[in-house]
Amino acid sequence: MDFYQGKILRVDLSAMTTAVEPLRMDWAELYVGGKGLLFRYLLEEVSAGLDPWSPDNPLMFFTGPFAGTGVSTCSRLVVGCKSPQTGTILDSYVGGSFAPELKFAGYDALIVSGRAAAPTLVWVKDDVVELRSAAPYLGMKIGELEHALRRDLDPRMQALSNGPAGENLLPWACLSTDQAHKAGRGGAGALMGAKNVKAVAVRGTGAVTVGDAKAFLADLYRIHEEYVFTPANMWAHEEGTLALVDMVDVAGAMPTRNWSQGQFDGIDQINSAAFQKVRLKKRACTQCAIGCRNFHVIGDAHGEGPEFETVALCGANCGVGDTEALFRFNLACDDLGMDTISTGAVVGLATDMTEKGIADFGLRFGDYAAYVAAPELIARRQGIGAELAEGARALAARYGVPELAMEVKNLELPGYDPRGTFGMSIAYATADRGGCHQRSYVQADEILGGELPPDSLAGKAAVNIHWQNFTSVKYSGIWCEFWALELEEMRQLLRHVYGRDLSDEELMRVGERAWNVARLFNVREEVEADDLPRRLYSEEGAHAAGPSAGRSIGEAPFRAALLEYYELRGWDQNGVPAEAKLAELGIDWRP
Amino acid sequence: MAHIVILRSHCTGCHMCEFACSARHEDAYRPSVARLFAEVNPTSGDIRGHSCLQTGCGECQAACPVEAIVTREVSLKVGGAYRSLDSVPVEQRVNILMVDEERGTNCGACYEVCPTGVIHQHPDRQVAFKCDLCSGAPECIAFCQNPYVLAVDLKLDKADRRVAED
Repeated sequence: MDFYQGKILRVDLSAMTTAVEPLRMDWAELYVGGKGLLFRYLLEEVSAGLDPWSPDNPLMFFTGPFAGTGVSTCSRLVVGCKSPQTGTILDSYVGGSFAPELKFAGYDALIVSGRAAAPTLVWVKDDVVELRSAAPYLGMKIGELEHALRRDLDPRMQALSNGPAGENLLPWACLSTDQAHKAGRGGAGALMGAKNVKAVAVRGTGAVTVGDAKAFLADLYRIHEEYVFTPANMWAHEEGTLALVDMVDVAGAMPTRNWSQGQFDGIDQINSAAFQKVRLKKRACTQCAIGCRNFHVIGDAHGEGPEFETVALCGANCGVGDTEALFRFNLACDDLGMDTISTGAVVGLATDMTEKGIADFGLRFGDYAAYVAAPELIARRQGIGAELAEGARALAARYGVPELAMEVKNLELPGYDPRGTFGMSIAYATADRGGCHQRSYVQADEILGGELPPDSLAGKAAVNIHWQNFTSVKYSGIWCEFWALELEEMRQLLRHVYGRDLSDEELMRVGERAWNVARLFNVREEVEADDLPRRLYSEEGAHAAGPSAGRSIGEAPFRAALLEYYELRGWDQNGVPAEAKLAELGIDWRP
Repeated sequence: MAHIVILRSHCTGCHMCEFACSARHEDAYRPSVARLFAEVNPTSGDIRGHSCLQTGCGECQAACPVEAIVTREVSLKVGGAYRSLDSVPVEQRVNILMVDEERGTNCGACYEVCPTGVIHQHPDRQVAFKCDLCSGAPECIAFCQNPYVLAVDLKLDKADRRVAED
């Protein structure tokens, strides 16, 4: 079989058994891989009303057909489950080297179910699978853990690992690979910890075939020349995600001091220019010719990042106008294995509550020592960490100030303030995994070089739908964000897989299909209604100063836009996909 | 003398050179049998390239008891941008070391002495395999073409750096 290996590896931790089964190629044809294929399997295998902390919640790892081939950026992996943080369907993506290695070992996907009786290391070497004791690795942070696994297993092994945060079941613990790469959001690390697994390690010495490899290689040279090494993509190499910092701040959309302002006065200490001063080199994920990662050195601190979201939520949102403090905070989160968006959000909230005299967490905007110490406390649930580990919603509610928590469906909001980019209000409210920016990129159209007005919701329902469908097929490929490819490039590459050209409509339908599967899952799991923190649409919540001062979406327009969104999607007024839509998309599942 | 080199200061650790090498030689993507590799330390960011130094080293040839590592001339061809050369000199002929698979006995002497760890037994055949400069058009260089990176390069002896018009 070409591109796909046609195999799923299953690990049952309760029975301590493993098995290999065929990948459902009928689903692969409809969903391509990655997001869509993961979602179809999750819809099938997660039982209705399942407690996401239960051993029956499967932790799934899916590749795309191009993982382990020469297609740049397609080395991404998607990790999924029913999220223990949000209760929604979860798809969490990560680069690094894991997906190609899993393919070289002979598998398109790995599904881990059950719960191990003792701390376990899953070790996959081609067709040999071992469930080893993880006792020697308990408590290890990511850097130390990966070195130990390379020493004990294989110098070229790749792993998805838990740090102390995941071992302590922090709801936003994330899986780590290649030191700094994270399947960040939604608590996949928490589920791995609940399954008593410290790491999944893999070494693959096999091959991924692509039919005529020389012809494919020739086509790849052309595609890289024409579509990858272009100014539209090379910004990612030159600056990486930090290029967005100034653009978002200038628009008044930078979450600042727990979302109380839209522009940060310390931004020039944490923007692209600030970090370029301390950049050692560029790094890339495996199988990516673009290479967007920045490796920095400040004193004895060294490592990749921070990325844009970390600058926003752990920087501006925490009032941190200090390059080194932010850098160390990011490295701490990375080594402990915890999502920086949620961590920054919670620390920002706790600092705000302390400043307002609502509680005393010993955090102040500008006190960098306490700030840098916070991630460790949260990961270990010690000191202030015992309360902060509950997450923003629970923490704010506990002290009677729920309006201070900026989250949707219990996923803390990322670095685009809807008051500065109105379209993101619908994006956050309707995203499948909770308050997330990485499905609809309407902010790109509004404040990152696009032409649409950021202070209007007119027509934005349709724009959000288009983006969500587009990113859903992109994440099924799995192409990375930082290849700004169009449907034409996807078509040219998928030509090698399908043996024919998929039309624009067919490609967008692959995305729409995945999006509807997610909605079916969330409806069945009775996920809370789509909504947004009041502060972000109400008149009282408008910023007092800055480029977005005085602007508010308004509740009525926001609610009307949501209804328009459902209608355009072919869903009823409660956001439930209609039968006609499911039939049109060929989804073979009914409630 | 000519050999591939991975430039430490430019390499991002993407391993695409290994992908391209395996695709060219194995008709499939299988970097575990690539003839060069980039050793990456994700913690320190340090990257060390491993590539065959050809006639600039020759340890395998010296160690082989049956003369199965032979010196061959190949003609270099233009393919992609090379960091160190404005263009590859047309019809440039250089010497490389190649494995004569008929003569090799898989005794392992070359595996032992290689200082860069780039000659191994092929997992599917009882014989050594190594870089042969793709008979003159290195796939690894052709694939490393991000204009900011260009980390895979060709090192030529001064004597071999003739201009195209020669």
